[in-house]
Amino acid sequence: MATTAIEAVAPPAALGVDRLLMKMRLRDDIDDLEEQAVRAIATPPVLYPSRSIVVREGVPLERSALLVSGLLSRSKDMRDGQRQITEVHVPGDFADLHSFTLKRLDQDIVALTDCWISWTTHASLHAVTDHHPHLGRMLWLTTNLDGALHRAWTVSLGRRDALERLAHLLCELQVRLSIVGMADERGYHLPLTQTDIAECLGLTPVHVNRVLRELRERGLVTFRSGRVSIGNLAELRNLAEFNTDYLFLEKRPR
Amino acid sequence: MPHFYFHLSNGTGDTRDEEGLDLPDVARARAHALAAIRAIMREELGRGLIDLDGMIHIMDDSDQLVMDVGFVEAVEVRYGNHRH
Repeated sequence: MATTAIEAVAPPAALGVDRLLMKMRLRDDIDDLEEQAVRAIATPPVLYPSRSIVVREGVPLERSALLVSGLLSRSKDMRDGQRQITEVHVPGDFADLHSFTLKRLDQDIVALTDCWISWTTHASLHAVTDHHPHLGRMLWLTTNLDGALHRAWTVSLGRRDALERLAHLLCELQVRLSIVGMADERGYHLPLTQTDIAECLGLTPVHVNRVLRELRERGLVTFRSGRVSIGNLAELRNLAEFNTDYLFLEKRPR
Repeated sequence: MPHFYFHLSNGTGDTRDEEGLDLPDVARARAHALAAIRAIMREELGRGLIDLDGMIHIMDDSDQLVMDVGFVEAVEVRYGNHRH
């Protein structure tokens, strides 16, 4: 099982925005005034224990969740008890910036690990995007990136086999965690269970375990005790037909 | 809730479950194993393979065997006029 020990010490208040800025500055410049404006609207991080529901589907919302540390999922629970995860959020992601305009969610936001979250009110987002239109576009960009992830996951779920699907997810998380300084080419910390991974991939935990064994035996990647150790990133990407185009890593005026 | 491990033996080799799963009872553990077998068979069938020789060994927390579930138990096979 993944660790469920509670991190008693709150992360620095600025950490969530630091990571959001890393994510945005990879794609365009953010000037000092914009940085101050976004720092001003993030509230001090609050702890959500592993497995708690952070936002429940359908509840009226007046704030959005910026993930400071931990891993969050967007997911849908089926009548028969099955769960499909449609996106895994890494630190620096807004898990539900789309609620700024939608005002309720069509899915649950669930803490997959202990998570620290900085809330930003929709009123403050409204004000900051009025005063800083470029910052508004950059926040819009982050929701467009979520859309790109959903499209890539649809392709995986529809067309990749179990081995390629798992390889693709591990490649994607390697890039997204690298952007916020939490992964390198050798691997990353990923405190998820096989059940969590199965729920991302539309597989069963037993199947995930079998496919993990195959990836390990091919020398591509090992997932053990909450750590992904990459043996051959180029080959792993080749197996998954993974390239970074859908993550929009290029810096340009937006 | 009791904790169950699902060790898989099939044509691809042996896969040990180091993580396991909390489930209410043995009946739910067996249902979980059957669903897992069907999912693996579904994918193998997509590659043109039907391998009924596999097995899931369900173990408890003290590594004692709870139940073996054979791949052959997970499907009804119809072939010609025969049902197996």
